[in-house]
Amino acid sequence: MELFAQLLVNGLGNGSYYALLGLGFGLIFGTTRIVHFAYGPVFAFSAFAVWMAGKFLGLPLWIAVLFGPAAASVGGAAVYWLAYRPFEQRGMSSHSVLILSLGLTIVLESALTLGFGPSIHTFPDFAAPIFILGPVFVTGLQLAETVTLLVLAVALTRFLQHTRYGKGILALGDDRDMARIVGIDTDRISLVVFALGSAISAVAGVFTLLNEGATPTMGFYPVFVAFVVAVVGGLGSIPGAIAGGYMVGLVESLGLWQIPTEWQNSIAFVLLFVVLMLRPQGLFVGMKR
Amino acid sequence: MTANVSRRTALALAPAMLAASSVRAAEPPKDPPVFRIGALLGLTDKGNWNATVMQRGIMMAVDEINAAGGIAGIKVEAAIEDHQGVPRVGVDALQRLRARYDIQAVLLSYSTVGLAAAPICEENKIFMLDGGSVTDGLVGKFSYLFHNRSVASVMARAAMTVAKKNGYKKMAQMASSTDDGQSLLRAAEADWKAYGGTIVGTETGLPTASNIDTQMAKLRTAGGDFLAIWEFSPGPGLVLKRAREFGMTQQAIGIEFTAEILKVAGAHAEGYVFATDYFNPEAADPWPQRFAADYRKKYGDNPEVYAANYYEGIYIIAEAIKRARAGGGNYFTGERLKQALDASPVVPSVYGGNMTFQPDGTGLKRVGIFKVVDGKAVFQNFAEVSR
Repeated sequence: MELFAQLLVNGLGNGSYYALLGLGFGLIFGTTRIVHFAYGPVFAFSAFAVWMAGKFLGLPLWIAVLFGPAAASVGGAAVYWLAYRPFEQRGMSSHSVLILSLGLTIVLESALTLGFGPSIHTFPDFAAPIFILGPVFVTGLQLAETVTLLVLAVALTRFLQHTRYGKGILALGDDRDMARIVGIDTDRISLVVFALGSAISAVAGVFTLLNEGATPTMGFYPVFVAFVVAVVGGLGSIPGAIAGGYMVGLVESLGLWQIPTEWQNSIAFVLLFVVLMLRPQGLFVGMKR
Repeated sequence: MTANVSRRTALALAPAMLAASSVRAAEPPKDPPVFRIGALLGLTDKGNWNATVMQRGIMMAVDEINAAGGIAGIKVEAAIEDHQGVPRVGVDALQRLRARYDIQAVLLSYSTVGLAAAPICEENKIFMLDGGSVTDGLVGKFSYLFHNRSVASVMARAAMTVAKKNGYKKMAQMASSTDDGQSLLRAAEADWKAYGGTIVGTETGLPTASNIDTQMAKLRTAGGDFLAIWEFSPGPGLVLKRAREFGMTQQAIGIEFTAEILKVAGAHAEGYVFATDYFNPEAADPWPQRFAADYRKKYGDNPEVYAANYYEGIYIIAEAIKRARAGGGNYFTGERLKQALDASPVVPSVYGGNMTFQPDGTGLKRVGIFKVVDGKAVFQNFAEVSR
């Protein structure tokens, strides 16, 4: 029972982290239909931005972490404007954009490796507080991930429902052509979506930096998890991304309760397979935002 | 088995080969313009810290040998290629070395890369020396492969001496799913069971895994008098960090401690005990003293096992070249280098004294037990491990 309780807490903590990843990825994918695999290196770039702000500018950690979302939103917007948008304007197929996205991922990871070297960058002096709740250990980062997710989900929902840009994003996600016909600047909205989605990914990137350090390839696995979370939850759905994140986190954690942990990296994709078989539109489609 | 026999056979035939080489001595040595030694290192891998210090060791040895006039007046060159920690890339890098330089001797690193590259070297009679990986999968299977790092069967048993000395009975263990990690796991389990100890929990993870929370939760519940860590840099750092965060207070025992591990583990590395080839910069032997002093002067850092092994690797190959050259003829070939070491398997070691290669190609070295105190590795004792 003690193990179950600990795995449950771990699953919820990791679920919050995965939901953050899925929220940003789902926002971009659900709105623009671009499978943005370069989300991974942008996520990594945000962690390095925080590391540089702390190490080179000597900023206190609570200020340095603000550089993550800022750098990611600039990086994400630049990727859209300089790479994806020219392809879209030429009317290239979604397959071409997908290949571009994969190529871009390799190029950006290599650029990060050249810039920062392949080794781990950490804040060695940072130590998250540990809370002991009976037989269960909870880290301060796990709590922070959960609280941050809830705050961001509420803020994003309000942004989408009550602002001009938010409504534009919803319209674009529903029907791109119709949005253009009614006069919405779809290029500008896409730019905002990439900036916003990348900024959300940066929050997860900062947690990764504080938890285990940053490397140029740190975004490789998270981008796949983000994809799984977004598809399982239902593309473009905020409740879907949150539910998808927690589902992957809990299945990954509790699923390994009785089976060998060698299956850890496969279990999320088994979940994806099952959901795609049973409910290909995702669990929360029709309940958008 | 076949390779063992062939190496034993070669040793048995050593006198005959020596006689043959004396015949060959009548033929003058065909000197190459340069002695080019290849090296496959993970320069852009996540754990590239190891490759960085390996490269330093290699370049120091090359510079020293050339500054002293080379080998018989011929310069030595290192041709270093990046394998990125990926076997396929390592094979491509090896083929580049062959195509460009017709390489005859190569330094290997990483078990997965070594397992992919060794059959190609064996087939093409390229002399191999591995000072980095510990997998038993490379031991005794390739007659052209020599090891100057203690392998898994030795390292794991050395680490187990700490557990036995402390009177522990129950082992919980976390291992990398790589060939190195699994080799250590197998060797440790066999040794621990033979000792009469019990294994209460075994968990594995990919070397690139960042989420090991489930493994740590299961190991914590399993209990155990100590936590054995069969992982390589930077893996043990995350294991130590998460174990302590999950309230695991038992002794952690592993086989590696590097600056990268310390960076990830931070203060949680304190008290960690590990077994590794013992390099003592303060040894009475002048060679380790000189190497350590020069290394510190050049890089502002203390040399450790990887720097020492790859520095030593160049000298071992240089020694083999000298011996092969004495036989005359076309001596700078992988086959002649191998024959030179098979005929006389004792070579000077930067660890002090001599190192003797065994029939399976492994070099015998002393393994030390170290403890992390104030972020530094402090020597405790030598591990008594029977071979």
